[in-house]
Amino acid sequence: MAYLSMGEAHRRITEYLNRFSDVVLNQDGSSLKQLLSVSSNSPLLLSLADALNLFHDYNRLLKQSDRFSQISEIVSPLFRSIQNFRLGNLLDSYNAFEKAANAFLQEFRNWESAWALEALYVIAYEIRVLAERADRELASVGKTPEKLKGAGSFLMKVFGVLAGKGPKRVGALYVTCQLFKVYFKLGTVHLCRSVIRSIETARIFDFEEFPVRDKVTYMYYTGRLEVFNENFPAADQKLSYALTHCNPRREANIRMILKYLIPVKLSVGVLPKNWLLEKYNLIEYSNVVQALKRGDLRLLRHALQDHEDRFLRSGVYLVLEKLELQVYQRLVKKIYIIQKQKDPSKAHQIKLEVIVKALKWLEMDMDVDEVECIMSILIYKNLMKGYFAHKSKVVVLSKQDPFPKLNGKPVNS
Amino acid sequence: MEILGKHLQPLLSKRFCRTIATKHTQASDVRPLPVLEETLNYLLNVLDSMEHPFEVVHDFVFDRTRSIRQDLSMQNIINDQTIHMYEEMMKFHIISHHKLLTCSSRPNFSSVHYLNMEQLKKCLTSLYALYEENRDSNSIYENGPEFWSFHVFLHLGSNSQPLGESLSLWLSHVPSAILKSKEMFFPRRLLRFFRMGNCKRFLCTTATEASCLEFYIIEPYINEVRALALSCVNSCGYIHHPYPIAHLSKLLMMKELDVEPFCNACGLEISTDEQGNKFLATKQKNFHYPKDVFPSYCLLGLEHFER
Repeated sequence: MAYLSMGEAHRRITEYLNRFSDVVLNQDGSSLKQLLSVSSNSPLLLSLADALNLFHDYNRLLKQSDRFSQISEIVSPLFRSIQNFRLGNLLDSYNAFEKAANAFLQEFRNWESAWALEALYVIAYEIRVLAERADRELASVGKTPEKLKGAGSFLMKVFGVLAGKGPKRVGALYVTCQLFKVYFKLGTVHLCRSVIRSIETARIFDFEEFPVRDKVTYMYYTGRLEVFNENFPAADQKLSYALTHCNPRREANIRMILKYLIPVKLSVGVLPKNWLLEKYNLIEYSNVVQALKRGDLRLLRHALQDHEDRFLRSGVYLVLEKLELQVYQRLVKKIYIIQKQKDPSKAHQIKLEVIVKALKWLEMDMDVDEVECIMSILIYKNLMKGYFAHKSKVVVLSKQDPFPKLNGKPVNS
Repeated sequence: MEILGKHLQPLLSKRFCRTIATKHTQASDVRPLPVLEETLNYLLNVLDSMEHPFEVVHDFVFDRTRSIRQDLSMQNIINDQTIHMYEEMMKFHIISHHKLLTCSSRPNFSSVHYLNMEQLKKCLTSLYALYEENRDSNSIYENGPEFWSFHVFLHLGSNSQPLGESLSLWLSHVPSAILKSKEMFFPRRLLRFFRMGNCKRFLCTTATEASCLEFYIIEPYINEVRALALSCVNSCGYIHHPYPIAHLSKLLMMKELDVEPFCNACGLEISTDEQGNKFLATKQKNFHYPKDVFPSYCLLGLEHFER
């Protein structure tokens, strides 16, 4: 770092203060937001941080001119936050930022138009990101991380300010998405319910009015909640919405959506092409897809084992495990097809012994009774049409459409 | 109550108080940890006493352990001893869960059973919070994985979110070492069999692998699984091949003489042929899930757990 003189430090701080003050006076939202993004390490804020760390008495500067009286409640703690962030004191940086954010919200309430909405977005983003880093610092010294929770409370306050009839309401979805990120990180996803209820049932909100970017994020998170609750039709609808409306150049975001959409689609009988998995680096699903295509139970079990940690962490493990029934269906269908080639008139009768043998080849040890049990479940859940003859140990398939397709619906529960 | 030893009477007399206002609670009202430990040990001994009917003992221990938990949480003590106490109280609730089934003739029995289940879940949730707070400390909890597995067992059954949270979400936060432990291997497999509808494997695996405590938790779901198996047989079995009772007994893993009453509880009739053999005719129209969970017909192979 080049040598910084007191004079230069003083100059930088005053310049920032003047800029802040002008921007507020002129209601220039996009310029204001650049002055608030503490964690961005922008050249402007880095140089300001260095100045603040040298010239500690900046509060005196704030008090010197009446011009700064309106903004001093915001800027004074903001300076502390920027200063501490530069020094790596993430807890202190967060605490100061929280004060600045609250002061900003107070002013924001008084500004009638929505000119400062973009700046508010930055505040919402920064408070979450700084809280995460503060919590990491707390955890590293063996203390209880609690700042992200606090950030969540602040964001609820912001939501409250935006949930009104005026033009500011269009910002509510962005704040909702920040809240989702907080709750998902903390694992307290049940808290999402109340904001979702507000967005979806309050009359002041018209979902179509919100910016596309926010709608995509919203559908992504609500889709993920549906995956946790195994509501596959709803999950399919929401995640598919996110996928179709996502900017195609945002490949990382598309990957995140697909990560959850693929298990959902598999559950309703829709298989992705391999090029899709390769393009978005989701090859952990390749063997699962192969297993479904081939009726290969062993492959499915291995695929789940190989990527167990990853699937468990993302919450899709149980969903994938349940695909076993479809794999059984495919296996029996293959046996049926082979039998049909040999003797079409008898193809619809499959001896349980044959299935036992096929499973043995797949290194699955099952006796006739268990196979009968599985066959009866497949019929019960409409994955197969027919009946099983207990005395003759045979499955008799219907001559019409013995293996109904799922057609976008999940397996009957 | 004659159960109490005279010297412990004042300590044990502290009942669970629903509306404790912490402002008005004196420090002297809250019992310190060593006293709570001694109280709990005494209560657990009381449980084993045969002098009184179980429901009476249960009510008493239920209330007093709840009071102990109240005192513990007010003091916010988080250490090995507290964890051990919660684990012991969990065991009490699980054993009660099972033993109360034998008291089904009592008039308010199902609410007693329900309330016990409520406290079981609360106790388990508190226990997990304690494990979480202690995660960084060096002590390794011998019982950790066993108590994590109970959460999985509670998700058997058709209520998809018995603890108010998705199981997938819960699993995503459990430490990897616990998820891969052998104590978790059994409940995870059992859950898979349940979700697949693989009744045969579910019942066989339970019979061969469940420990006593595990069996007590799984027990209420066994009849649900059996009912599903019966439903499949009834709706998918060939109408000209009625299912012999002897085979049903093997499938449902219940004694032959229990099969007919169980079928009846599911709305199904058993027929008898000229030779006196009993069998279930399939494609009957009146199948329904049994209205009462109890009585739980004995699971073949686990008679020794049913005291």
